[in-house]
Amino acid sequence: MLRTARLDTVMRTLADPTRRAVFERIARAREISVVDLTKGSGVTQSAISQHLGSLRRAGLVAHRAQGRNVFYRADPKGLAPLVDWMDHYGAFWRKRFADLRTLLEEIDP
Amino acid sequence: MNNAVLNSATQDIVVDEVFPHAPETIWKTLTTGELIARWLMEPHGFAPIKGTRFTYQTRPAGAWDGTIHCEVLEVVTNERLAYAWQGGHESNSGYGSRLDTVVTFTLTKVAGGTRLKLVHSGFVTPTNDTAFRNMSDGWRKVVPALGNFTGGPH
Repeated sequence: MLRTARLDTVMRTLADPTRRAVFERIARAREISVVDLTKGSGVTQSAISQHLGSLRRAGLVAHRAQGRNVFYRADPKGLAPLVDWMDHYGAFWRKRFADLRTLLEEIDP
Repeated sequence: MNNAVLNSATQDIVVDEVFPHAPETIWKTLTTGELIARWLMEPHGFAPIKGTRFTYQTRPAGAWDGTIHCEVLEVVTNERLAYAWQGGHESNSGYGSRLDTVVTFTLTKVAGGTRLKLVHSGFVTPTNDTAFRNMSDGWRKVVPALGNFTGGPH
């Protein structure tokens, strides 16, 4: 369930507009049932299930069954290949610039 | 799952700020090992001479020992410094994955000080052109929504 998706798998999986829309709805909801996902989606439950299968294999969503309902939530580990390095260095350089400002004040008051 | 051919696209990180100091002063903090260590990280083997290879030690991840391998690519005194910034390992994904990037500092004299622009370029994101265009709007919506999860320790 928590296997880390490769970047290209993530990109391919989200390249499909319908699948991307499904993923975005799941990401916005804390958790959402397949029934609720199908409602208002304009596609059949079987189509939704196929998209959910792709999202699951890409590591983008996790699911749990409760009675006859299946609930989905976004699995942030699936997004890690895309955001981790840039996220890391974005924060890294901003922090370092602040440290540089402090150092400059010290050596050139 | 479609079979679209994936091309490579790269993205940059840019930090651009004005400092109330002369370019010569800022240049010293970018090119003196002892000063670099005080704001960035301690460089091992740095010299502001094109072709110089040096390293920074960062947090290891998996098969990667955390070493950033750098090579000075361009030196224009008081104006521009660029070096390669490479690390990571193929077996990692996310933090610690293969990294082949370039860091460029550009200094421009402005009223009251110096504008220092950092561009960290070359973050590769394999994409299908159309997919990437379609996606970029989606990401802006999705990524903030996931901020709670991705904001963890690095």
